[in-house]
Amino acid sequence: MERPITQSERDDRPTELVPEMNERSELDQLFSECYEELRRLAMSVRRRDPSVTLNPTALVNEAWLKLARRPGIASTSQLHFRRIAARAMRQVLVEAARRRKSEKRGGGAAAITFDDSLAIANAGADDMIALDAALDALAEIHPRQAMMVESRFFGGLDVAETAELLQVSEATILRDWRAARAWLAAELRRTG
Amino acid sequence: MQRESENERGAARWELLQGLFHEAADLPRAERHEFLSQRCGDDQLLLDEALRLLEADEREHSLLDGDVATLAGRLLDSASPTAHPPESFGPYRLMELLGEGGMGMVYLAEREDLGSVAAIKILRDAWLSPERRERFASEQRTLAQLNHPAIARLYDADALADGTPWFVMEYVDGVSLTSYCERHSCSVAERIALFRSVCEAVQHAHRHAVIHRDIKPSNILVSDDGAVKLLDFGIAKQVESLDVAADRTRTGMRMMTPAYAAPEQIRGDRIGVHTDVYSLGVTLYELLTGRLPFDLANRTPAGMESTILEHDPVKPSAVARKTAERTGEPSIYSSASHASWAELDVLCLTAMHKDPQRRYATVDALLRDIDHFLRSEPLEARPDSWHYRLEKFVSRHRKAVAVGSGMLLLVVGLVAFYTVRLASARNEAVREAARTAQIQRFTLGLFNGGDDDAAPAESLRVLTLLERGVHTARSLDADPAAQADLYHTLGGIFLQLGKLGRADTLVEAALAVRRSMGSTDDAASGRSLVLLGDVREAQARYADAERLAREGLAIAESRAPRGSDDVAAATISLGRTLEDQGRYADAIPLFTKAIERRKAANAPEQDVAEAMTALANSYFYAGEYAVSDSLNKLVLAIDRRVYGDRHVSVANDLINLGAIQFQWGRYDEAERYYRQALGINESWYGAANPETASNLTMLGRALNFQGRYEEAVEVLDSALAIQERVYGPVHPRVASALNDLGTIALAQGELDSAEVDFRRMRDIYREIYGGDHYLLGVATSNLGSVYLARKDYARAERLFREGARIYAASQGPDHLNTGVARIKLGRALLRQGRFHEAVVESRAGYGIVSKQTSPSVSWLQAARKDLIEEFGALGAADSVAKYRAEDEAAIAKPESSGVRMK
Repeated sequence: MERPITQSERDDRPTELVPEMNERSELDQLFSECYEELRRLAMSVRRRDPSVTLNPTALVNEAWLKLARRPGIASTSQLHFRRIAARAMRQVLVEAARRRKSEKRGGGAAAITFDDSLAIANAGADDMIALDAALDALAEIHPRQAMMVESRFFGGLDVAETAELLQVSEATILRDWRAARAWLAAELRRTG
Repeated sequence: MQRESENERGAARWELLQGLFHEAADLPRAERHEFLSQRCGDDQLLLDEALRLLEADEREHSLLDGDVATLAGRLLDSASPTAHPPESFGPYRLMELLGEGGMGMVYLAEREDLGSVAAIKILRDAWLSPERRERFASEQRTLAQLNHPAIARLYDADALADGTPWFVMEYVDGVSLTSYCERHSCSVAERIALFRSVCEAVQHAHRHAVIHRDIKPSNILVSDDGAVKLLDFGIAKQVESLDVAADRTRTGMRMMTPAYAAPEQIRGDRIGVHTDVYSLGVTLYELLTGRLPFDLANRTPAGMESTILEHDPVKPSAVARKTAERTGEPSIYSSASHASWAELDVLCLTAMHKDPQRRYATVDALLRDIDHFLRSEPLEARPDSWHYRLEKFVSRHRKAVAVGSGMLLLVVGLVAFYTVRLASARNEAVREAARTAQIQRFTLGLFNGGDDDAAPAESLRVLTLLERGVHTARSLDADPAAQADLYHTLGGIFLQLGKLGRADTLVEAALAVRRSMGSTDDAASGRSLVLLGDVREAQARYADAERLAREGLAIAESRAPRGSDDVAAATISLGRTLEDQGRYADAIPLFTKAIERRKAANAPEQDVAEAMTALANSYFYAGEYAVSDSLNKLVLAIDRRVYGDRHVSVANDLINLGAIQFQWGRYDEAERYYRQALGINESWYGAANPETASNLTMLGRALNFQGRYEEAVEVLDSALAIQERVYGPVHPRVASALNDLGTIALAQGELDSAEVDFRRMRDIYREIYGGDHYLLGVATSNLGSVYLARKDYARAERLFREGARIYAASQGPDHLNTGVARIKLGRALLRQGRFHEAVVESRAGYGIVSKQTSPSVSWLQAARKDLIEEFGALGAADSVAKYRAEDEAAIAKPESSGVRMK
């Protein structure tokens, strides 16, 4: 049932891991379906008790549950799906961040910060946009590392899974993560 | 860090930088600068970058180190009106934010005209249409009528102009229940007392037909003076009905706190008062142990779901004890006796039992048992692990217990008697039978030139013809290879038909003939070894079966021709023998390998499905129902595709799926599956066939568990009738059907009926097994229970005595069953006033049972109670004291001072 993922990255889109050629359209379709589903899910996510968080990883899994039965996707491995979904999730979040920022500018200018979390939320939006940009920058100098960060952070893939996805050792993943993290942190400080 | 304009240079530089970073990071801090200076040389920029990296490495970064959940949560919360709440709600003025609840924000508000305060909760992301607002408001008015000192009053509720709902509630100044207990280092007694108050509050609400649906410690506040108040009553229901935006997702977990959510909530089944009972149970668990029963962190919704639905929590006493051992300080564990903890285990786990039918049905029942506990009386709840343990034991050894085609007999205590038929056991057989049907047709064609339809002919005719086949084979001396092949084939057919003796003889003959040809380890011999192993498996000679399977596999691996299925088939056979011995962990990888092999060899789908079924079975026996479920569904799809909708393979798949639902307590779902299967089985095998009867039996059980006793009895009667017709009046299957009926009758209080059934059952086993077979013991004991219920203690005594004797003889004097039988015997003696004798039995039984199943509390509790009575009557004050001491729920132990450790 698992289709092995090949390592060939012949596309110049740095963060895409492209399997065989004939799956290209499937991939696109997968991404767009995933993206739609995540958006839909995300829009209905509600705030909850801080002690229990339903996080994007969970959303991704929910999307998988929903989409897994569709014919085009059924033959995709879950790992692969999550990788794509991570991408889509990142997209969803960036858009949400941008929307939030524009809202702030638009309405309720002198917002009585009755709600402390409002201030935090806005900071979150800035963070997200900055992270998105930083990831793009990382992707330019090391596509695979950016993809790894994306998968881990937005898709919730753990070390073992990421290692399997990228067909490298776990030690490599840990090293790469550490370096990437440091780079991103430094980058975020620089820009933020 | 400046960004290079060209990616390539950037990439190369980054490689370099990374290398430096890692090397430097491995060095002690003092040496880093030196090292970097050396390596970077003139490149000041590089040095700076490297240093920056190292610095960032050491720092915490909230975003990157955290998970994106919180961030996402904030971002995805579309700008809601609650970001700018109005300053006033009617006569209330918002003062400060108290906190964020699960569904919304809670503010402290002041009522200016009265000078009083209240709490106002505003729901986020919820929107009421004008039509619904009216209904909403009126529903809230009903809730407002709940008036109880331990329930936070709901004063008012309505919606804002834009549709956002809000509630005005009594403001409670206090901390959550768990915090309170921690801060005050509450003992077990104190915690139970607080918990009791909570239960009373819930009881009150239930009496007014209000279910909370979201009970958890954070909804239970305790004020300084120790008064308990429950919050958010009925709000969850409102919130659920508002969830228009999100469709009913598979997990549906949005509307509640997963950790405290009852299985039926997660499944979307009917909610009832029992749902609150569950949440109370989890709350109690947390109170006793300081932690939640399930670790749901980092789980996907599906993972959470399966955890809650299937995983059993660790006993509270075990958790508490471990914590105490770890921290080494006075702890909650030491504030109650060992015996009390055992009771609390039962209390807590019954309250949070996954099966609503096994839970306390109402809070009243829970309160009753709490009071029993506080008064050191036996609980009404019966501990569960008794059942589980036996169930797991028997399912592990099902073949030893099995009767013919894999009927699984469950013995629970001496009272109940369940039958679970796992058709999966012979799923492969069915597929094989389909193949065999082709052989049969061929064979039949050979012998009488006739043709046959797809359904197997009457077994009698087939057997006759097969015997002719054997006869023919015997005459093939001149062609040993063909002879051996025919023996092998016929042996296989007899195996499928359950004629183990014939199968045994024939397969051995095949091997003998091959040996005489000088072939001992050719591929064909290997296959015969595997088949012989299958025969041994059916004969429940597992050690032999395993050995043969391994031999056959070894040969297949070295000799099998390319592309043949030998290795896969041998692997599956081996896997099954391991499964029979309960070694699921070993069996599972084998089946997985077999699946892969067959897939890789492009084997026909149904063969892959066969292996999948085997795997699904293992998972089932290992208790991994979710996995088994998925696999079975896949197999079902394949079988439908290959064989069509009305084939027995499909029926068996359906039964497997039904069995899983049954395990999950979804008896109605199980029923659906069983009925579907029944439709197929009846038309394939006819109404008077053991397969149909098996199917009916399972259906009967599913009906029984739904409380549809009359229907269950009707179905089981049919099953019994078939078994009798097919096997005659004296057959293990008939006996087990009688057991089903007797159990129901006993449970319904129809003692006369139960007696008749159990008597017949006993007679049958006597005749079949002659001497001391433990099944006879079961029948005897069950019969004894009828008399016990009738208060005919003399007869009950006789029967229990006999039962215990049989158990001791067949399963050993220290077997669990023996122990329980003796406890019951003790009671029967006690009731007759024969105290000396009673003591002997009660004590012996107590000794046996307490060694093996600690949470068999009610039995032990009963035994102790009996012993206290017995010793009391004999004037043995010391012994009375001893057992009383063990029995005493020493709740009021001296308060242990010291820091409460979590």
